[in-house]
This record gives sequence, C-alpha cells and structure tokens, in this order.
Amino acid sequence: MPKNLQNIWLIAKREYTERVRTKAFIISTVLIPALMGGGVFGVAAITRHSKTTSHIAIMASEPQPARDLKQELEHGEDTSMAVDLVAPGNGETLSREIAGKQIDGYLEIIQTPDSDGALHRPVFNFTPRSSADIATSDSIKSALQTVMTREYLAAHHVSAEEAKALLDPAKVNVIESNGRHADSKQSFYVAYTLFFLMYMVVLLYGMNVARSIIEEKTSRIFEVLLATIKPDELLAGKILGVGSVGLTQVGIWMAAALLFATQAGAMSGITINATQIIFFIIYFTLGYALYSSVAAALGAMTNSEQELQQLNMFLMMPLFLCMGMLPVLITSPNSLLARIVSQIPFCAPLLMNFRISIAMPQPWEIALSIGLIVVSIFAVLWISSRIYRVGILMYGKKPNLPEILRWLKYS
Amino acid sequence: MAIVELQNIRKVYDTKVAVEGLTLSIEPGTMFGLLGPNGSGKTSSIRMMIGMTVPDSGTVSLFGQPFSRSLLGRIGYLPEERGLYKKMKVLDQLIFLGQLHGLSETVARQRATHWCERLEITEAIGKKTEELSKGMQQKIQFIAALLHEPDLIIMDEPMSGLDPVNGALLMETLVDLRREGRTVLFSTHRMDQIERMCDGIALISRGKLMLSGSMREVKSRYPRNRVNIAYTGDDSFLRNPAIVASKRDVGAAQLQLVDETAAQPLLAEAIARGTQITRFEVVEPTIEDIFIEQVRASFGDAAAEGVTVDA
Repeated sequence: MPKNLQNIWLIAKREYTERVRTKAFIISTVLIPALMGGGVFGVAAITRHSKTTSHIAIMASEPQPARDLKQELEHGEDTSMAVDLVAPGNGETLSREIAGKQIDGYLEIIQTPDSDGALHRPVFNFTPRSSADIATSDSIKSALQTVMTREYLAAHHVSAEEAKALLDPAKVNVIESNGRHADSKQSFYVAYTLFFLMYMVVLLYGMNVARSIIEEKTSRIFEVLLATIKPDELLAGKILGVGSVGLTQVGIWMAAALLFATQAGAMSGITINATQIIFFIIYFTLGYALYSSVAAALGAMTNSEQELQQLNMFLMMPLFLCMGMLPVLITSPNSLLARIVSQIPFCAPLLMNFRISIAMPQPWEIALSIGLIVVSIFAVLWISSRIYRVGILMYGKKPNLPEILRWLKYS
Repeated sequence: MAIVELQNIRKVYDTKVAVEGLTLSIEPGTMFGLLGPNGSGKTSSIRMMIGMTVPDSGTVSLFGQPFSRSLLGRIGYLPEERGLYKKMKVLDQLIFLGQLHGLSETVARQRATHWCERLEITEAIGKKTEELSKGMQQKIQFIAALLHEPDLIIMDEPMSGLDPVNGALLMETLVDLRREGRTVLFSTHRMDQIERMCDGIALISRGKLMLSGSMREVKSRYPRNRVNIAYTGDDSFLRNPAIVASKRDVGAAQLQLVDETAAQPLLAEAIARGTQITRFEVVEPTIEDIFIEQVRASFGDAAAEGVTVDA
C-alpha cells in the first residue's frame, strides 16, 4: 500500500474502532430509530385514536336536535365528551361554571321560526372557555353536521340504515402499479421516517467530524500526527473513519428494518422495499460526505465546542430548508418547485430521497442530483482542506473572513 | 555532513516576525541545545525543520538532502504542546503512532512495552490517557517519539512540567540515545540543562540567532572573568573599580570583573582589609551569563532583564 493510503487507512481505522466501541454509539444505534419511528408512528397513532373528552353544556329550547347531538358527542366515532343539557336562560350560570373550570364551554341552540333543518338551520353559538380550543369546536361542528343531516333524512322517510351508509365516508383503494393493495398512509410514514433518520444521522456525523477535529486541536495531538502525515491525509482519514461509523449504524438499522419488514411487515402493513434502502444508503453517503466536508472546515476554524456551536447554523440551515420544503413535496412531488429544490446539492440527499420514496422521479433527475452532489463534494473538500491545513495550526484567535480567504490562497 | 542545516530562514506570521535570517547546522551524533526565552522563535524554527510550516525564505536540509517529507520517517518529534487522545488506551495509542511511522503492529507493540518498562510506567499501559498524571502522559509522548528508532530526535521543551526525578530520567535517556549515535536536538529556556549536556548550542532571541557553535567554542570566546565569593565581615572590597557588575546575597556575591587578571588583586585587597574569605572561585561565565550579555548588547538592558526572569 502506498504510504499516503496507508496513513489514511490508519487514521480511518482509529476513528472507526474508537467510535464504534463507545457507549454513545450503541445507545444511539438503539435509541435514534426507536425515537424516530416511535415518534412518527406514535403521533400518527395518537391522532388517529384520540377522542375529544371535553365537558360542555348545551342550552336549547327544543329537545331536538340537542338530545341527538348529546348522543353523538358522547358516543361518536371521534368524540367521547361529557354533555349536559340545560334549559334556556341559564347563560349566566354557565358562564360562572366556565370561570370555575367546571365545563369547557357551552353551545346555545337558537331555533328560528322558519328553521326547517335544511335551508334554514338554527343558530348555533358556542362559547368555549378558551377560544384556542379548536378540537372541541371542530368536534361539535362535525357532530352537528351529522345530526342535522340524519334528522333531515329521517324526516324525509329515509331508513336509518340508508342514512348511516350515506353518512359514511367514501372509501378509495390505493393500488400500486404492481397490482397490490398499498397503505398510502403507511408508505408516507416510512418516507417520513427515512427523511428524519437521514437528517439526524447526517447532522450527527457531520458534527462528529467537526468535534473530532476540535478534540485533536485542543488535545494538541495533531502536532504529533502532522510530523508524520499530511493534513490532507488526516482529513481524508477522519471523514472516512467517522463516515464508516455512520454507515455501520445505518447498515444496522436498514438490516433491522428489512428483517422487520419481512417478519412483521405483512401484518403491520409497513413496507420498505429494496429500492428505498439502496437509495437511502447512496444519498446518505453523499449527504454525509458533503456535510462532513463543511463540518471539517468549521472544526478547523474554531478552537472549542462553544465556538463551533455558533457556526452550527451553516450545517443546520440547509437542513431546515429541506424540512420547510417537505409540505411542497408531499402535496405535489413533481411540481417545478419540488424538482428545483431537490436538485440543490445541500438538499438533494434528503429531498430527492424523499421523492423517491413517495413518487419515483425521472431517472435523469436522480442522475443529475447525484452528479451535482459529487461535484459539490469535491468543491467543498477543496476549500475545506485548505482551511484545515492552515486552521489546524492556529489557535487562540478566531479567524475573520478576510483571513480565511487568505488561507485559501496561501496553501 | 550536517544532520540539520538551516540556511537563512525567515518566517513571518501576519505582522509578527517569528524567525529572521536563522542559519545553523547540527552535526551528527551530537546533543544540540536550542536556547531562548519564551516567544523567541524556538518552536517556529523546529516546525520549519520538520516541514510542518514552510519558511517564507531560506532553505532547510535534513541528513544532507533538501527537505522532503520522506525524510520525516527518520525523525522523532516531541512537540511543545503535549497531546494524546484522551480516551484511548496507552498501548493502543503508542501502537497507532508507531504504525503511522511505518512500524508493523507487532514491532510497535514490542517496542512500546519495552520502552514503558524502561521509563518505569508499565502500570500505565492498559489505562486511558485521561487517567494518567501529566508527568506520565509526557513520558508516553516521549516514547511515541522514539518508537521508530529515529536518527534525529527533536524535542521541544522536553523537561517542562516534569519533577526533578523524572526530568533526570528523561535526560539520562537522551544521553543514552546520543551515545548510541543518534542526534538529539532539544529546545529549552532553562540554561542550566544546556550547560551540563549539550555539545552544541544556538541561542536565539526575538527570532534572531545570537550565537551558535560547540559549547567549548562558545565558552572560549568569553574570558574567565567571573568570581564567586563568600565572606564574613567587611565588604568594602566590593567597591573595587575592577568589578563591572555584581549580584549580592548575604555574605556572598557573584562578580564580573573587567578581565581575568583582576581576580588575584581583588582577593589580596579583601584579605588586606581583614575580610574573612570562606570561598573564592574564578569561573568561566555560564551560558546564562553569556546569553544575557548577548541580549543586552543586541536589544538593550530592558530585554536582558526579561531573559533573566524567563531563565
């Protein structure tokens, strides 16, 4: 092996073995997917199964539709509220109860003389304890809708069974191109999980590169290292070593995901396919290389973790941009805006991968994005290695922009 | 053939001149002391010798060849700023550093174990660096610089922060290495170390070379005009006009005379005045004396005072 490759190998090997052995690695390997997956699926599960449990009062002159509404709110599909029926004119008592936090709000139903249940509906005034309580008022709204419609249908001699069938939401089957039934919600959650996984890991390992440089700087070990090897070799070894740790971690996760998909996937409906995994690994590797090159420059410019914190935003900002672009990608993954942002090298690893998961883009788009990232990696590495070469021997003072520009020319 | 040869090198950081027109050469198999107060350019010069930084002008030759990175394998370097991986085990660390110098893992492990025994730190070998005392860490780093059996050993302030026992142990080791035919270059601001051990010296101050050469050569340039005296009683003889400078303690003084011949008359005068002389010693100037004199001649009295404080 040529001397310089051997040096890179030695540095990478040390970074790798020292990191994989740490408790932090083991803990994060277990915890990150647990938190990510648990978070995404947990939120989904909670929103699906949670019911509104407010306690409200209904003040109405007529027994109908108040009684039906009470029934609907207490035993409806999405609600299990407590509802009191109150005679009209008790507004003041109810206001006092709101102030005393005994009830969460009250609904006043005012029948107008010409209300017929369809064209002329009664007036509904809802007084909540907190006007920000959207969940309760939304539940009341949809419950009213159901109750009013049901009553009207009953009045027009439609049977209860037919009325119920009419009120049920229409069902749409999502069928994949291969003819299989798919759960679009599930595949969306998978894409979402992959997105955040990559986001976390790229940021985490990018920062690890910066931190490892600072550690060598503060411990001054690099003076010994630089007496035998070149700064470029040190930088390359570091990025490779830390990156391999990240790949190992991602590899473990992906293997576990595959196992999970084959074993439990059928019953849970979660599908993650080989294409998703392959692209995830490709885009993770590229994204990591790009972000860690930036992080290396940041590490070389700073002297301590605290100083690094201040420069963190250079890593975070593109990632935040990606996050901000998610809604656009979800609603129209093939729109012009989605296509453009998913070509920006700093966003492509996350966004293009996300698009691949939810709606496969054109092959040339994928090829172009990979090409652009690779070019950017080389450009950033070129700059970073220069900053690194000079910055690593500087301590004490934080360099300003003109100085950094001078470093680029200098070495 | 000189092992290290610096020709008129100059290095400027922004506006500060770190090294200015430094020329020196180190002969093989010698122990060479690079001497100067803090901030005088010792570390900058050493960094240029091993190619960590590049001189703005001037040339560096190693082992009789123009500088090239391939020669670095023959050099062992102990930087002034000590540094080791805090969380790494000592033996792993030494093996890693040995491998970077081109050793195989087996050889690196053998030598590391052997050196740890020699420097009496075998118990540290399985521990992490952060669990060790500062002195132990320094010994580890000392070993790291020697594992690949370099021909040229460069140590920047090797003794700083060591207790006298360990300092002596490391010095002995360096003397042994020179006896084996290796060249040792070390920098220090402690003049007494240089005096006892070095064959050759270079004195630098404010990035400029004050003087250099073999110890004997440098000393022979200066007259034996120093007198250490201890006495009781009348001290009026100390007003003798032949005394150029003096440092006085209670009942003792270190004197600098105009020349060597003034010593005997001074002793005669003291005895004539009835002073009890308990010690009277004519000595050559110490390296410290020479250095202070040089700095004073070049930069004035204020700078020379600074040297005394550092030394």
